[in-house]
Order: sequence, then C-alpha cells, then structure tokens
Amino acid sequence: MRLLLLNHISVARESLRRNRMRTALTTLGITLGVTCMTVIFALSYGATKLVSDQVDALGGNLAVIRPGVDRSPQDLREVVAPLGGTSFAVSSLTEKDFTTVSELDGVDKAAPLMSVDGSVRVNGNDQPINAPIVATTPELATVSDLKVREGQFIDDITNQNTAVIGHQLSVDLFGTDQSIGQVFKVRGQQFTVIGILSPVEDSINYNNFNINNAVIINLTSGKSFNHGIAQIRQINIKAKESGQLPGLVKRMNDLIVTNHNGERDFTILSGSQIAKPTSFLFNTVGVVALVVSAVSLIIGGIGIMNIMLANVAERTREIGIRKAVGASNYHITFQFLIEALVMSVSGGVLGFFLGYAVALLLGTFLPFNPGFTWWVPVASIGTSVLVGILFGIYPALRAARKNPIEALRQYS
Amino acid sequence: MIGMKKADTTTPVIALKGLTKRYGIGDAEHTVLDNIDLEIKKGEFIAIMGPSGCGKTTLLNVLGLLDKPDEGEYKLDGKPVERLSSAKRAAIRSDRIGFVFQSFNLVPRLNVIENVALPLAYTGTPQLKSLKKASDMLKTFHLNEREYYMPWQLSGGQTQRVAIARALVNDPSIILADEPTGNLDSKSSHIILEELSDIHRRGNTIIMVTHNPDMTTYADRVITMLDGRIDTDTKTTVIQNTRSSVTKKVSLGSRGKPAKKTKRGKK
Repeated sequence: MRLLLLNHISVARESLRRNRMRTALTTLGITLGVTCMTVIFALSYGATKLVSDQVDALGGNLAVIRPGVDRSPQDLREVVAPLGGTSFAVSSLTEKDFTTVSELDGVDKAAPLMSVDGSVRVNGNDQPINAPIVATTPELATVSDLKVREGQFIDDITNQNTAVIGHQLSVDLFGTDQSIGQVFKVRGQQFTVIGILSPVEDSINYNNFNINNAVIINLTSGKSFNHGIAQIRQINIKAKESGQLPGLVKRMNDLIVTNHNGERDFTILSGSQIAKPTSFLFNTVGVVALVVSAVSLIIGGIGIMNIMLANVAERTREIGIRKAVGASNYHITFQFLIEALVMSVSGGVLGFFLGYAVALLLGTFLPFNPGFTWWVPVASIGTSVLVGILFGIYPALRAARKNPIEALRQYS
Repeated sequence: MIGMKKADTTTPVIALKGLTKRYGIGDAEHTVLDNIDLEIKKGEFIAIMGPSGCGKTTLLNVLGLLDKPDEGEYKLDGKPVERLSSAKRAAIRSDRIGFVFQSFNLVPRLNVIENVALPLAYTGTPQLKSLKKASDMLKTFHLNEREYYMPWQLSGGQTQRVAIARALVNDPSIILADEPTGNLDSKSSHIILEELSDIHRRGNTIIMVTHNPDMTTYADRVITMLDGRIDTDTKTTVIQNTRSSVTKKVSLGSRGKPAKKTKRGKK
C-alpha cells in the first residue's frame, strides 16, 4: 500500500507539473483560504494567550466579577451587532457587592473598577485627550500587579483629587514622563499627578483598559462624577491560595445572588475563563473573517474539482490502460484522490506559512503578536486535507467508474 | 520440457459455454458474441481471425475480464468468474493476464521502464524491485538502452515490444494480444510475432486477434469468427501435433530473424 502511495504521489507530481499554470491557479485558491484562516487563528490565539499569560503570571488565584450574564450569542443578529444591547446599561454590580466579597475569608485583596466617562485636558490646553479613567481602590496595585515607576499609587490617606497616570499619557499630556505634581482636568475637576505607572508592554489585559494610557483615581473621586454612586464594571479578587479559588467563587456567587434579591445577573470568571477574548468586536471580526476564508476554501475546492474532472477526462485512456494491467477501482480512486490531495495540501502548507507571514506583519500594527501553537497548523493543514478529500472524491470516483473498454477506445 | 507442460494440463485454462454478449437495447440490440463454446488448454497459441465487427475484440475483452458476458459461462482455471467482484477481477488481471493492444497503449507520461513496471505497482512489489524486474524484462527484448526514453521517442516496433514486456512483467499465464501487429510494418510484425512465439515456448497461453493471415502461421490453433460465432477452428479439423508445430514455427520464423533471437529461442 505504501509503495502504491509513493507511486501515486510521484505520478501526481508528474501530472501536476505538466499543467503548471492550472495547478498553480487551483492551488492558489486553497492557499488564500488557508492564509486567511491561519491569520485569524494565529491572531486570536495570540490575543487569548496574552491575557492568559497575564492571568498565569498572577499565580492563578485571580477571579473577576463582571455584570451581566456572559452567554454566547444566540443568533446571527447578536453576532453581527458589535455593541450588544447591554453596552450602555447600568451595571448590576454595586459597592455593596464589592464590600461583601472583599470581607470574605479566603479573599486576600479585592479591587473594584469603575469607568468614568470623560476626557482629560491640561489647563489652557484646549485639545482634550481621550484616556480611560478608572476609579478604584489602592488594592488594585496588588491585585493586578501594577508597578509605579515614580511617585506613589493612590492610597486611603491621599487627597481626593490626586491621580496616578500611565507612562504614555504623561508624555501625551505634559510632553514628559516626569510629571509628578502637574495638574490636569477631568470634566472640570482638577487632579494632581502623584504617580506614574511603569510602562507595560501589553496594552490588552483582562481589566479592559490600556494601562499605559490610563488615569487611575480614587473610587470616592469616581463616585463624585456619578452622584455618589459607584458604577462598578468589574471586581478583581485575589484569593489567598489558588486551591481555595473554586470554593471561593461558589461562596461569592451565593452572596451576590442574595445581595441581588436572588437574581443571577453577574458572571464570575476564574483561571483560564478570564482569558477568553473579552472584546465582542474582535470575535465578530474573527467570525466574519472565518466565513470569508470558508467561502474562499469552498471556491478553491470547486477549482480542484474542476481541474480534477478535466484531468480525468484527459487521462481516460490512461485509466483504461491501468485497469487493463490490473488496477482495481480502488486503485484508480486512490490515485486521483492523491492528486487532488497533493494540490490541496501544498496549497494548505503554502497558505499556512503565508498566513503566519501576514499575521506577523499585522502584529506590528496590533497591540499583540500572533501566537504559535500546535493546533494552528493542524487546523489549517487539516482543513486543506478535508477540502482535498471533499472535492477530490467525486472526480476520483468518476475516474474509477470508467468502463475500461470505452476508456481504451478513446483517441485510438 | 514444453511438451511436458502442455501434457499435464487436463483442465482447460479457459472454458466458455454458451457465451453471449449483446450491445444496445430494444430494436438497436446487436449480438456481438453469439453462443460461443470454446476451450483453451494451457500453453496453446491461438490466433483468432475474422472480418471487422465479428466480435474478436469483444471476445478478447471478455476473456481478459475487462468485459462481462450477458449470458453463458466463463470458467478460468475451472472456476466461474461471472460473479466475481470488480476488485477480484482486477486482481486476476493483475496476476494472471497480460494485455497487448494494437495501439500499444503505453501511458504517455511515464517513461519506458515505468510503463513496464506499471503492473507490478498493483501487486505491491517494492519500487526498486519492480524497476529491477522491468529492467530485466526490457533486457530480454533488447530495449535496455531505451529504459528512460518516453513512449513518443520510440518507433512503432519498439513501442510494441515495450508493451509486450509490460504484459509479461507480472509473469502472467495468459497473454491476450489484440492485433499486436496491426500498426506495424511486416518486418516489425515478424519480430513481434517471434517474441510472442518465444513466450509461447516458455509455456504461456497466448490468444491473439489478427487480421493478417500471415501471422497465423505462428499459432498452433486458428479460430475464425463470423458474426459473433466461431466459424472454423483448426483444433476440430486437424489434430495438431504441438511439437511438430513448434518446429514448423521456428523454421517459419527464421526468415529475417536476427541471430541472437535464434539463440534465445533454443534456450
């Protein structure tokens, strides 16, 4: 069998080489489809890995609570709508929930994240800068492992109107990363810089804000923008020991459900769940790109089928000869299937490498790099094998079903 | 020794009884083979003659398991073959039958040695071994210098010799030749026939379809077909002495035969 396989591969290579142009064009269809797929896989894995690495770096004892129920989209309409219906909703998490969980036994530290809508501007400078403004408690520095490069992080005894800002924001606002003591305004309220955060390489994280570009203020200051009510969009919890985490998650669940009058309108994520791509838009783009690549693979497959049917028609006589010298239908099917597979797999391998090249190129424009893992090549090349079999089997069966006598009579 | 081989074959290699083959349906139905009874013993060299359309090629295709009869019985080595699966039929073709066609039928994209080795690919012979075997086979046909030529680079006679080499590489017991000299000039034709009678002397059964009465002199049994029936069969009219026929053939074949071939014939 193996010998026959080698024989078929060399015959396939020879026959494909004879029709270089059409082989190249057919293979191109598969190449493009697989390229597209590889790019998506590599980038989505890269994005997921980025966050999961951060979670791992924190020792695996992290849990986050988010408002709303995290459910997968129910129908296409939900996938296509980049902003879900809950995007502008009032968060279901309250300050009471935060207090409840932070007082739990197994909890080492907990920090709420409240987003304040508004832009940042320096006195006299009319051009406002858009920056994420996050109101939180001093514990965030420990829970999310934020390092202060200069000055200090917010703490309980510092003045209300002080802020810690990201390294990049400091440069953008004041033209220097030495901006301690400088003042800026958020929605008319003045803040003094008391600390600069160390630059972080990865701007994507499970906190969903870019640390290099952020303004971090006290929760009390944040509440003052919202009539004294905290609009918490996430609570980060660090357990004392990672082994306690599952039990802790369960207890927090029960407590918050009680807080919410029995309503389960929040989600607690722990461990690798946190690493799931949090951006809905990213998922949507991914789904659309996957659909595009699937369509392109189908078109590539049809191309293969077309060429293989032409091959079978051209080589009818050869099929007759092969049958006369002892080839069974199975042998003939196998031979033409191998030929289709040689085309689709070479397209797949080419597409895989091209895909990584494109992903690396795109990575230079994106805040994360494409990831490499075993399932990316397996999925890409596996798909091309599938396409080869799916679209190669019909021409191969047609070849095998040819009547040897009629086949031998052709052109004679 | 050849005589001995023939003597111990009591069951016929091929036995046909009431074999009928029709093409078309309804009014357009045409009976190509009409109730044919035929027995062929091991080691016979049979020439089938007849006008165009009398069913010679169809008979050969049925014998070679490329075609199925509509009625009648076909026993190969005493075993009926009508109900065999296509895979089994292919296995028998691969194992026991060698085809030689009028139009040579080499695979154009394969070179000479690959063409000769082709039947071995379907028996699972390792590639190196099958190339070696093909090379040896080509040597007996004095074509070893043409091993890596492509089919279109050969003359008609050379191509047909390659085709015969391919038919023989599996060591089949039955050779079916459909007008093997139809496309060749008379000199090449005699060379090809010499090769075939040489193979015959080695104990193979040969069934050859031909138009050319000259070529029947190499055969030890001549069957004439007419309208899908067997018209005459020398076996039923003259009981031939196989040994004397061999001698006769050699003397006939020695016309214009190269010296080296005579040597091989004596072996």
